[in-house]
Amino acid sequence: MPTPTVPEFSKSVKLKYVKLGYQYLVNHILTFLLIPVMLSVALQLVHTSPDDLLALWNSLHFNLVHVACSLFLIVYIATFYFLSRPRTIYLVDYACFKPPCSLRVPFAMCLEHARIILSSQPKSVQFQLRILERSGLGEETALPPAIHYLPPEPNMAAAREEAEMVIFSAMDSLLKKTGLKPKDIDILIVNCSLFSPTPSLSAMVVNKYKLRSNIKSFNLAGMGCSAGLISIDLARDLLQVHPNSNAVIVSTEIITPNCYMGNQRSMLLPNCLFRMGGAAILLSNRWSDKRRAKFRLVHVVRTHKGAEDKAYKCVQQEEDPEGHVGISLSINLMAIAAEALKSNITTIGPLVLPASEQLLFLFALLRRKIFKKKTKAYVPDFKQAFEHFCIHAGGRAVIDELQKNLQLSAEHVEASRMTLHRFGNTSSSSLWYEMSYIEAKGRMKRGDRIWQIAFGSGFKCNSAVWKCNRTIKAPIDDGPWVDCIDRYPVYIPDVVKL
Amino acid sequence: MAEVKSRVNVYSKLTVVSSRPIEPGKTHRLSGLDQSMGLHTLHTIFYYRVNPFPNSDLTNHRASLSEHLSSYPAVTGRLARAEDGEWVVKCNDAGVRTLRAKVVTTIDEWLRSARGSEELDLTAWEDMPDDPSIWSPFRIQINDFEGGGLAIGLSCTHMHADLTSLISLVKSWAELHRGEPISHPPVFHRQLSSNTNTKSTECYAKQSKAEPLPQVKMATATFRFSNSIIKQCLSQIHVTCPGATPFDALAALFWMRILKLKPPGNNHTRKLSICIDFRRRMNPPLPLGYFGNALHFSQLSLNALDGDILGHVAATRLVHLHVAEVREEEIWSTIDWFESNRGQSMPLFRMYGSELTCVSLEHTIDVLGGENGNNDTCQSLMYEVMFKNDERPVHVSCHVGNVEGEGLITILPSSEGGLGRTVMVTLPEEEIDKLCEDEAILGLEPTMIMNGRK
Repeated sequence: MPTPTVPEFSKSVKLKYVKLGYQYLVNHILTFLLIPVMLSVALQLVHTSPDDLLALWNSLHFNLVHVACSLFLIVYIATFYFLSRPRTIYLVDYACFKPPCSLRVPFAMCLEHARIILSSQPKSVQFQLRILERSGLGEETALPPAIHYLPPEPNMAAAREEAEMVIFSAMDSLLKKTGLKPKDIDILIVNCSLFSPTPSLSAMVVNKYKLRSNIKSFNLAGMGCSAGLISIDLARDLLQVHPNSNAVIVSTEIITPNCYMGNQRSMLLPNCLFRMGGAAILLSNRWSDKRRAKFRLVHVVRTHKGAEDKAYKCVQQEEDPEGHVGISLSINLMAIAAEALKSNITTIGPLVLPASEQLLFLFALLRRKIFKKKTKAYVPDFKQAFEHFCIHAGGRAVIDELQKNLQLSAEHVEASRMTLHRFGNTSSSSLWYEMSYIEAKGRMKRGDRIWQIAFGSGFKCNSAVWKCNRTIKAPIDDGPWVDCIDRYPVYIPDVVKL
Repeated sequence: MAEVKSRVNVYSKLTVVSSRPIEPGKTHRLSGLDQSMGLHTLHTIFYYRVNPFPNSDLTNHRASLSEHLSSYPAVTGRLARAEDGEWVVKCNDAGVRTLRAKVVTTIDEWLRSARGSEELDLTAWEDMPDDPSIWSPFRIQINDFEGGGLAIGLSCTHMHADLTSLISLVKSWAELHRGEPISHPPVFHRQLSSNTNTKSTECYAKQSKAEPLPQVKMATATFRFSNSIIKQCLSQIHVTCPGATPFDALAALFWMRILKLKPPGNNHTRKLSICIDFRRRMNPPLPLGYFGNALHFSQLSLNALDGDILGHVAATRLVHLHVAEVREEEIWSTIDWFESNRGQSMPLFRMYGSELTCVSLEHTIDVLGGENGNNDTCQSLMYEVMFKNDERPVHVSCHVGNVEGEGLITILPSSEGGLGRTVMVTLPEEEIDKLCEDEAILGLEPTMIMNGRK
């Protein structure tokens, strides 16, 4: 959808200052209103003498009963207020899986394998070549071992091995970083969309780390690339109910069983973009974790457009005419994503936007409705609400679309683009690689607000808002970016010549 | 003849890439000498009694191989034709094909009973197609024997590397796998200079115009001569020819015996083409890690009558003097001849085999202690390839592909070390059988390895 064009005159410098003045005024309206009140009280105090004040005090007729009751009332109200507030959820730390270098998939190898395996279908090979050239991926993304074979051997044992490699590596890293003991984990949520064996992946984690027998474990499957934020939402709700607990979330996507072996174009895209990745996150509602936690969860907003048939069918896993199973992406995916995003923004806007932007939005809305002017909807300036944006690295098109719609600068989407380049589309864990990038660059300061947006099949658009709890100093010693952060950001051309 | 089922079963194939990406657009230029070797291929096999990779899972040695390949962009690249028609390697980071196979026998049984041609089952090879852009010029096959033995087979086009380069590639991989510093890091280019014509270039010019030879089925036999026997043999030779090396003695022996087996021809000279490595003969010397072809072929001839009378000692002397006489200018002039004649649509000729060729690997043997290898434990480059500490290969074979014509003799170091040598002979089938019965050779008590006979 085209961006709402700002009238030319407002680009001038004078109006910029007017705009700034307006924002300050509206956002701090209460402070501004308070100043005259305080001034008048101060004036009053200056005019009254100490004797008058003493007389005023005596006239209140305080005695012990009054004081005691007032005190109890205050304490009672305060307790009620504190207890009825939702618990604060802290993100203590998270760890991302770093694939070993030997599982790297350079473009030349991708194409060579495609040409050897699909030697009878040169058109499919050409199509994949064109996708790779424009994909925005780099030469260091990784695929699981089973896909490196000629021909690929995507059997269940290999899928389990990949799951073990990714999940256990991320978990080990998380346990080391946080000093968490496996027996202390109260809630475990594992989300992996396309691989769901029995016993589940969460059972696999419980078995490996010998977690407690009364652990609350959940396994979310089939929920697409936005399942990471769905897990966060679930953990948040559980942590409201269970006091003094922590939750471990493992977000991953297992690529091995989903290698598409056919030649339908709509199903070849995931082959070219999806790569190995995974993340493990530790959430807690304990007061003792407040000091060391990296982030605080502020909002989670979930939008599901599945009620519309078009949105429901746009990402579909099915068999092609030859019987190969693959994920088919419909041609109007970007349009549906934009719709879902608009829906999500409408809900999240009032929660995060400063009053100035909300007023502007309201005025624009009124102008459209009342005066029936055919102006485009005003897109609020989210850059005032957030310092950092983590857009799911679903593909170059997704990032371009969101950058355009939300009017973000290149620096805002840098984390997403660089994650796509270095790690590819790692599905639900890509948001965590992007957070890790921002931290590795030393841009994460205390008080910064971060917006994570993820899209998924269904069609869903989920958002999470975090607030940084403590400044994270770079350089950091571990993490997936530790050996390559100095090379980033890289310039990614529109088309890479292969 | 009944088709014998191969004892080697290949069950998986994948591509191993380097662990660090290569800058795009890099190419590796092949020298004139490299281009001239275009008809041939190289295959080496390293046998280990104990599998040095504990998990027997491809990922175990894949990690060290990936890391190692980062230093060899030319190995992971693909061949392409340049504008002037000659071959160039595009370093496009495509990787090396690696295969896994299982052998149904034990390693000892194999070493005793495999046929020479069967040994090539342990290496993977496909001939270069017309479009080599998706064809991997380097192939590695890891073979597991019953009872725990392992054979690593490497194949490559002779254009990319000679035997020394291939061995130093594997040795560096093994050193990286063990976590030790690499003793011969790769060097990819050398200086060229101009020089005059000498007799070697004349023979190449003649060969390039020679007619193609009739196709004859070749077979290979492997003889292992022990340290003590060679020592005894050399002590007799040193009376008249001090400084003779085991290569000289064995080359002369096999030459003389094969001459006797050849059908009696007309009165033309009998030639032996001797192939030596010129890395150490240059000034300044090329490092052993130089990756490319550094071979010099020179011809030793004698007419038919002489050939009959010449005794072993005299023949050894002849070979020794010839090898010692090869000068640097001669080497440079052949290099220049190849450089100047490259890309002129000169048909490739058979460097190995159109005349009886003998390959020396003496340069890979470090002579420690006294001059004639008094120290019996001196080792060679190929037997120092250890993936696990103190786990030396039990045998190393080297084959050259597309050897046609008179035949090839390769004199390799032996697992025993010291003066012991392994000789691999490729001849037309009937001549091999006769050679294995030859009395003069049997007089040196060779151990026959892989002679395919029960």
